[in-house]
Amino acid sequence: MSSVPLPRLQAESVTKSYGATTALENVSLELVAGEVHALLGENGAGKSTLVKILGGVVRPNSGHIRIDGAPYAPLSTLDARRSGVATAFQELSLAPNLTVAEALLLPSLKRGALGLVSRRRTAQAAAEILHRYHLGDVSPITEIASLSLAQRQRIEIVRAMQHASKVLVLDEPTAALTDVEWLFRLVRQATATGTAVLYISHRLAEVRSLCGTATVLRNGRSVATVDLSDASDADIFELMVGRTKMAGDRPPGAPGPQARKALELQDIVGAKLRGVTLDVREGEIAGIAALEGQGQRELFRTLVGMEKMTSGRILVAGKPFQPSSPRHATAAGLSFLPEERKVEGIFATLSTAANIVLPVTQRISRGGFVWPSLERKGAAAAAEAVELSPRYLDFRIADLSGGNQQKALLARAMMTGAHTLLLYDPTRGVDVGTKQAIYAAIRAFTSKGGSVLLYSSELTELIHLADRCFILYGARVFAEFAAEEAEEPVLVAALTGYSRKDQTEAGAAA
Amino acid sequence: MNMQSLNAAAPVATDIALTPSTATRIKRLLASGAGIIAILYIILYFLYSLWDPSALTADTVLNLTNNAAPLAMAAAGETLVVLSRGFDLSVAGVISLTNVIMAAYPLEGPLGALQSLLICLAIGGVVGIVNGYLVAVLRLQSIAATLGTMIICQGLALVVLDAPGGTVADFVTYDLTDVVFGVVPITGLFVAAVVVLWLICRCTNFGVALYVVGADETAANLSGISVVRTRFLAFVGAGMLYGLSGFMLSAQTATGNPNGGASFLMLTFAAVALGGTSLSGGRGGLVGSIIGAATLMLLQKVLFAGGVSSFYTGIFQGVMLVLAVVFGAVVTHVFDRRSAS
Repeated sequence: MSSVPLPRLQAESVTKSYGATTALENVSLELVAGEVHALLGENGAGKSTLVKILGGVVRPNSGHIRIDGAPYAPLSTLDARRSGVATAFQELSLAPNLTVAEALLLPSLKRGALGLVSRRRTAQAAAEILHRYHLGDVSPITEIASLSLAQRQRIEIVRAMQHASKVLVLDEPTAALTDVEWLFRLVRQATATGTAVLYISHRLAEVRSLCGTATVLRNGRSVATVDLSDASDADIFELMVGRTKMAGDRPPGAPGPQARKALELQDIVGAKLRGVTLDVREGEIAGIAALEGQGQRELFRTLVGMEKMTSGRILVAGKPFQPSSPRHATAAGLSFLPEERKVEGIFATLSTAANIVLPVTQRISRGGFVWPSLERKGAAAAAEAVELSPRYLDFRIADLSGGNQQKALLARAMMTGAHTLLLYDPTRGVDVGTKQAIYAAIRAFTSKGGSVLLYSSELTELIHLADRCFILYGARVFAEFAAEEAEEPVLVAALTGYSRKDQTEAGAAA
Repeated sequence: MNMQSLNAAAPVATDIALTPSTATRIKRLLASGAGIIAILYIILYFLYSLWDPSALTADTVLNLTNNAAPLAMAAAGETLVVLSRGFDLSVAGVISLTNVIMAAYPLEGPLGALQSLLICLAIGGVVGIVNGYLVAVLRLQSIAATLGTMIICQGLALVVLDAPGGTVADFVTYDLTDVVFGVVPITGLFVAAVVVLWLICRCTNFGVALYVVGADETAANLSGISVVRTRFLAFVGAGMLYGLSGFMLSAQTATGNPNGGASFLMLTFAAVALGGTSLSGGRGGLVGSIIGAATLMLLQKVLFAGGVSSFYTGIFQGVMLVLAVVFGAVVTHVFDRRSAS
């Protein structure tokens, strides 16, 4: 018995569902003291749900978790911390109006005389913490709002580190970090004291250099736990996406360079962008790949006039175009599917049909009135194009699943009669089946001569869909790949700013 | 293993400032709503003294303080709720209700005044508890929930006193609106006490939590702050301040009016906004709102002294509010840009 040490953390058949959607089903996981264990999976595979359960933010419907053999069922993040489990969340949990010191020490700030909070002593304590974790250059009295995203992420990590005596959960800790060495050093320090680290990252190279084993999640289930030194990238990838072949495989005969350009960007500067040049041909899906915060959001928003550009030119079908508002862009034939569909996309209280026909109400109205039957008729055709079941059309869109909402929004974007769709991460948080439907709809759109500019946070999606792939790095186009060159390792290298020139030059010399 | 503890024992670099420099503090104060509104108040007061030579006498100061105190307390209470990202309309109901109770059941003498004060605070506190339960615990929309409690309180006020009338106890009306030491208005002491309580409160976990909850509820939750408790306490504190406001209004008017609080509703929000508190929560403070309330009341005096018909007061108050909000936005923008670059 004593020869086999208890695992530090043991999760057994953890299940969590939100209403009808099952986010996690029978997930099991074991972390050994002092190891760095990777958690891999596609977006929507259930990683963040598991993170939230471990961190005490949500409670599982069933299943057991044990820490050092003792049952662990935290009711809050504080509760989790008391058990020695701390999480650095992906959607950073730092309020912008706090100082660094307050953010690090909440909810128990240092007290001075009379039991009142002492800003000085809080700052003092925070300075010590920052120093201990090699962030001595950050002033404890600066406001979170004035920090860069990378620095906020460091603060988030440090805050978790202090409380993680047993288990540390890092959810995409390097999404905004360029310098990963700092993090690696801290992780090694933590594991040296026996803390088990659950490390979630999309960057396989990083995972390989830090983690020994990995557990792969797919569609809410834990598929396998593998020794990373034995598993090739392809193996892991296969575990992540499953053996099912992706639909929407690139049909032969993507438009070549002679095809007319539907959209052309020339050296766009402004709103953080530092000179973006690219073009989308007619009938083409042009992909954009980028790590978090490389200007992709700003690029899309600039194209529809939600951000101002300071210089550069946009040509739509060869004609100069200065977008002033999304409405203006729609009139010019550009239709934008925004990222935050809950905030920027849907009108939660309206029916699905109303949501779909919204941009074209003038066209389908009769005598100035939009009758529900007209709405329905107009929406039905568009819904069919994205395989959205017509029975959903009368439902309030808020009652639809995320995937169906996304289909409805895609239908809306197509409904505008746009020749170019600007799709920003259209399959984020969407299940596999819906993904296939969305891929098919996008393909169908381009086969009819439409063009698509597609940003996706999932490389696999771009590899399967895009005819050409542009890499954004440092808010400019860093590299461009044709479909046949776009393979994951090459793209990953380019994403992190490694030029492929060295490789190709070496290849040319050989 | 003990790299961490080794490092912890090492002395922290001493060149890191633990408190903001004086220059930063001044800059922050100027950029904050309270700083702007204080300057506006001083300018207005200066104009007032040009038009009315009696502006600087102790009598005028007393009058201004007595006039402004009820609105100042109402705005102070509202600020607590607004900081936590909410709206509290019950302010009008609580003021009406406490006012009619003061007029319908006057309690004489200093002891009676103290009892009345406690009753007012209790009424406000109970309404606050109801609001807090509805908004923080049941998570109803704050405007809808407090609209309900406001209407209930207004209804109760009509039950207590169906028409303007009644008499507030003499001690409250005369002695509490007077001065001590020849110059210090007693109502001013009440306001000062609230300010001191607030400054202490800011240095408690609740004070810090209030701002975090208002700025980002999710982040607050993930940081281990109890959002429910913070919101609840904000409503209770607010209710008690409305009760105090009703008490002071009664001292001012000496009579009861079941609709007395209605006119406070809009002015309360105006004072909060004027004082630089963000109506979307997380930014601002109680002191700014108090000065904001004082400014709105001072403006009435200034216009009167300047010979402007009182019918125009509303227009000027509104214009001033818009200008202050625009000015505040410009200042914030300029400062943000500086710190970003």
